[in-house]
Amino acid sequence: MDLPAGTRNYTYAQDMAIFRTKTHWTLLIGLLVVLCTAPLWWGNWLSVANLIGITIIAATGLNILTGYCGQLSIGHAGFIAVGAYTSAILTERFGLPFPVGLISAGVVAGLVGMFFGMPSLRVKGFYLAIATIAAQFIIVWVIKQWTDVTGGHMGMSVSAPALGGLVLKSDSSQFYLIGGIAVLSIFFAKNLARTRVGRAFVAIRDNDLAAEVMGISLFRYKLIAFFIGCFFAGIAGSLFAHWARFISDEFFPLTDSILYIGMIIIGGLGTTTGPIFGAIFIGLIKHSLTHYLVPTLESSAIALPAGFASGLAPMVFGLIIILFLILEPRGLAHRWQLFKAAYRLWPFSY
Amino acid sequence: MRKKTIRVLSGLMCLVLVATLLGACTSTTEEPEAKAPLKIGMSTPSTGVAAEKGAPMGHANLDCIKYVNEELGGIDGHKIEVLWLDNGYDASKSVTIIKRFVNEDCLLFTAASSGQMTAMMGIANENELSGFAAFSSPNLTQPPQHIYGQTPDYGDDWAAFAKYYMDNIWKGSGKPKMALHLLDNSTGAGAKMAAEAGAEELGIELVAIKEHSATTTSEIASLTTLLKEEIDVLYISSTPAPTAIVIKSAVELGMYPGITIGCGHAGFTKALVDLAGADIVDGVYGVYPTVGWEDDVPAMAKMTEYCQEYHPGDYGNMDYIISWAQSLIAVEILRLAVENAGADNLTPQVVEEQGLKKLKNFDVGGLHGPVTYVPGDNRLSKSVRVFQIQDGVLEPITGWVEAPFINYE
Repeated sequence: MDLPAGTRNYTYAQDMAIFRTKTHWTLLIGLLVVLCTAPLWWGNWLSVANLIGITIIAATGLNILTGYCGQLSIGHAGFIAVGAYTSAILTERFGLPFPVGLISAGVVAGLVGMFFGMPSLRVKGFYLAIATIAAQFIIVWVIKQWTDVTGGHMGMSVSAPALGGLVLKSDSSQFYLIGGIAVLSIFFAKNLARTRVGRAFVAIRDNDLAAEVMGISLFRYKLIAFFIGCFFAGIAGSLFAHWARFISDEFFPLTDSILYIGMIIIGGLGTTTGPIFGAIFIGLIKHSLTHYLVPTLESSAIALPAGFASGLAPMVFGLIIILFLILEPRGLAHRWQLFKAAYRLWPFSY
Repeated sequence: MRKKTIRVLSGLMCLVLVATLLGACTSTTEEPEAKAPLKIGMSTPSTGVAAEKGAPMGHANLDCIKYVNEELGGIDGHKIEVLWLDNGYDASKSVTIIKRFVNEDCLLFTAASSGQMTAMMGIANENELSGFAAFSSPNLTQPPQHIYGQTPDYGDDWAAFAKYYMDNIWKGSGKPKMALHLLDNSTGAGAKMAAEAGAEELGIELVAIKEHSATTTSEIASLTTLLKEEIDVLYISSTPAPTAIVIKSAVELGMYPGITIGCGHAGFTKALVDLAGADIVDGVYGVYPTVGWEDDVPAMAKMTEYCQEYHPGDYGNMDYIISWAQSLIAVEILRLAVENAGADNLTPQVVEEQGLKKLKNFDVGGLHGPVTYVPGDNRLSKSVRVFQIQDGVLEPITGWVEAPFINYE
């Protein structure tokens, strides 16, 4: 980790600590204050924040799988669907408590992910991408056809999450649940990258042949990566189902799987902060256009051609992503690193 | 230099003084206090895979409210404030939209499609915020809660078309063979539920059910498997773009003309003719719950005036009609609620009980069948008409056909 000049570490624990300087702690406390008081002043953005929080959890999982371990997956929305339906079925049809549904969602999605990750031993890159696309289609197909259990196209209603006797119906109460799990996910991902398993992932990503020669079991670690990545997707799916109160196959389209890849690329592949930046960036653009830009243009006095404002939203969305990939291909996390470096060196530029 | 500064400062002070005096004069002028607006939510898929339907529907919703506010003075002096949001035919966006409708204390909300209403209904029912969809499927209204269908659902479409087919088109012996080609969401599922429940009773043999996605580009493969079934009639319940693809594929395979094709109302609109071409879809039947543009009904003149002034490209599109009617129904619900409970006492629950549930034979300016709330049946209008595409025009070939309530539970 880059640290300001004069910051010394005297113990191994100090060297490994995530928050070490006064600035780190000040920023952390400031962020926690903002997040804890968010329900008081975020208004309508709270439901968007919840959705972004769920997206961060799922994107963090994909980042472990793709960013750290190098296993390209274009079936992430399918794995999220597995988690959503597992949790919904266990809580609604079997009456199990929400925490059981939440954990089971992660485990089942992780196991399904491992199953679809098996081809990763033989294929990689674009070929693995095709294999994971198959997961997306197969999972959604099963949801559509297994109508007795999943409700098929008609979907199924899901109740609000409950912890003991506390029912989290409002967006404000769910914000703490989703935010808490998102923070735990990020913390886990940050630490995972520094463990033996995380370093094995990076070795496999950088050169799988060299990793194998060093004694890393490719099959084992690739499957672990699929399990962890899809476990996160399952947790996100469970939270999504109980947040939306209704799920159907339409909530988990292939385009979302592609968008998740876009998020971790825009945020910064293989970095802990990448999925956070990517999910916030995409989420804010998507919902700002939906909730503010288009309605404002439609109701403005300016004589716009019919349908112009509505058509503008996807154009602006696409344009921003294209410009971003051209101007900052290494992701927002890299931009954040540059900012921190500039801050550390200020007022000297070298 | 000093004198110049003093002059500038004096000038500024004079300006402030004049502005203050003018402000005071204005504030003393007695203007009638504007009554609080009545806020409703409206959402249409104006972008995304169903934009060919959603965009004109959004235009009609807002044009009609503009007409009510500007020409009718709102409801008892209360203007209607619309929170309109484009859902892009995206289920997740629809959830954030319904949450915003709830958070911003909308009294009522409308949606265009059954798919988006399906995504919204969990939150709406939980918060007892009533809403109705222009196009609905049975899952929205059964069991009845706080979601309503403006018109008969996709299951009713199938029932109306199947009955018309058996009474007027089928001349062969034995049972006609029918295949369904359905959009892979609630739009298709509604028709499937009705067909599975009612085909045998009507004397129809249901031989195949095919599904397609909203982004399909060819249905040659799925229709090829139907060739060996030697079907007599193909029923499509989908949005215009996929419906056009299915029909074009049927023409390419030489299936059509030769069989009868019928469509549910989600796909049967001017956009279908524009997308497929008038020659391709000539003779196709469809069910639609509104009048056509050439019909002489009371609301037609004003609607046409607004459409041609603000959105001339939508003229001739029947989706514009259904959404204009949707706004008229929303206005009538609010009017009844204000009349029965008073404008100051309105909450979503009061609007539902004192407005929506008091609807009785509201004629919607003749744009579609009368609107009535019947306990246990959350379909507000219960009439459809059968149309046929003739020389590129959707011509009505029946009067209003009553769609009986089908219990799927």
